[in-house]
Amino acid sequence: MLTLGHYLIASGLLFSVGFIGVLLRRNVIIIFMCLELMLSAANLSLVAFSRYNQTAGLPDYNGDVLVFFIITVAAAEVAVGLAIIVALFRSRQITDVTAMNSMKN
Amino acid sequence: MPAYYLEVIVVVLGLTLLLVEAFVPLGDRRSLAWLAALGIGVVLCLSFLVSTPEQAEETGRFSALYATDGLALFYKRIALLTTLLVLLMSADYRKILHQYTDPERPQSQAGLGEFFTLPVFACAGLMWMASATDLISIFVSLEAVTMTFYVLVAFMRRNVGSLEAGVKYLILGALSTGFLVYGITWLYGITGQTELSAISEVLKEGAVSKTAALFAFALILVALGFKVGAVPFQFWIPDVYQGAPTPITAFLSVGSKAAGFVVLLRVSEPFIASELISSNVITILTVVAGATLVYGNLAAIPQNNFKRLLAFSSISHAGFLLMALASTPAGGAISQFSISPVSAISFYLAAYLFMTLLAFLVMTLVRTQRGGESIDSFRGLAKTSPFLALTLLIAMMSLAGVPLTAGFIGKFYVFLLAVNQHHYWLVALGVVGAAAGFYYYLKVVRAMYWEAPEDTSAPAIEVSMPTKIALILLIVAVFIFGLDPAPLML
Repeated sequence: MLTLGHYLIASGLLFSVGFIGVLLRRNVIIIFMCLELMLSAANLSLVAFSRYNQTAGLPDYNGDVLVFFIITVAAAEVAVGLAIIVALFRSRQITDVTAMNSMKN
Repeated sequence: MPAYYLEVIVVVLGLTLLLVEAFVPLGDRRSLAWLAALGIGVVLCLSFLVSTPEQAEETGRFSALYATDGLALFYKRIALLTTLLVLLMSADYRKILHQYTDPERPQSQAGLGEFFTLPVFACAGLMWMASATDLISIFVSLEAVTMTFYVLVAFMRRNVGSLEAGVKYLILGALSTGFLVYGITWLYGITGQTELSAISEVLKEGAVSKTAALFAFALILVALGFKVGAVPFQFWIPDVYQGAPTPITAFLSVGSKAAGFVVLLRVSEPFIASELISSNVITILTVVAGATLVYGNLAAIPQNNFKRLLAFSSISHAGFLLMALASTPAGGAISQFSISPVSAISFYLAAYLFMTLLAFLVMTLVRTQRGGESIDSFRGLAKTSPFLALTLLIAMMSLAGVPLTAGFIGKFYVFLLAVNQHHYWLVALGVVGAAAGFYYYLKVVRAMYWEAPEDTSAPAIEVSMPTKIALILLIVAVFIFGLDPAPLML
């Protein structure tokens, strides 16, 4: 039997994997994928919470609505984000974030 | 007129501008910026005709998502005024923008239309943030603003600095979004609500897990800390501010920060009002405020690039604002001899708007006509352009907090609140920070008045008519509200 706890642990793991990936990886595309993982972690726990906070046998739909907004925002973010990353690659041929240091004094 | 008409008008204005850009043959596309500024100015006037919540009919569920109180209107006006001035600055910034978007074709005006239109859409988002009282609308409006800023920061696509700033802002902004949604998820999970008023009631009853509530607060604070530039989430600020086009830096440092603070005020209110976690929340806020004050002020001292200096200045002002927030009395009760932290923060942000945008307007002119942003570019400005030098002098005085300016009154209220709440450590850190502020702000003044210009034959800087009017009005505002702050108090 799956309980709320199982979902929250899975979502917590997903969030940690994403966050650690952002901190440790250097390729900007992989960092971007890790950021998407963090958003998916939130989606997973939102759906779980919405099932858990049932009223009159129905899930609480506020959580589900938020999931749809998060999916939409994540898609928009990818569209804008990849465009910026591509523009930077075209001007400097780098994807390594440690090489992005042209503004240090 | 209901308050949400204002956002609708702003969005329609943005769409109209895009259509005008596409279908009307404009000789000089800068007229688009002036048109946009005019439209925003009209909406600013309309905001004084908005009906108060008592007059407006309660519209059921919608009123839970959208506040029309004085606080919301105040921050809507801040967003509108900021956008108006940013648009004027963008028009002046045309030359630099062209150099880094389409340098091969000297007559090209490509991309200008978008550069003048996107701030209008960002403004609609900022206005919505001021009214958002539901976790879902907070999330959506915040993202609408952030996403627009991703594009604007990276707008100069032939300039490596701007692109790098764009990628950094993108990664760290998306990271803060991740924290925000995870925090919202937990807050929703433990309370079962997304409306802040309902969340406040559940938290007051105290029937929730203390650890989970604090965890949710910490995650949301990380995300909003990114937006307002609080230590330890400030590391994006110097690079992004330096790399972004100057008008956009101004927009980020005033508009984005003010809207971040109104959301922070609304979100932290249920936590501070709840007896269960109030003291822990205040402690967290105090530590963050202290760290921000120390870092922002001390790291600003060695800076030689004026834009970067203003970035650190923006961090240090976030420190003072957080100091006021951390001085909220537990339980939310305010003694009759004090002012509320909400009015202190709102006044401070309004004063911050006047003085920071003054500095940025002058910097945009110096950048486009003298070609540099380092403090050396300001050398001898008093000889060649005495009016601009005087303007910048007033902005720096107010940022440092010299009496008779709005900046002084703002700092005075913050210190008053902190003393009332016996946060003496914070007061001490604030005094050290303000003293350091005198040093680094006056560095620019010294360069302008006591050093010889790099190039003595440099012509005086031309100031266009709209910019000159804006400069004079802002100077007047700095002094008027420095003498009588009452009209700006909530």
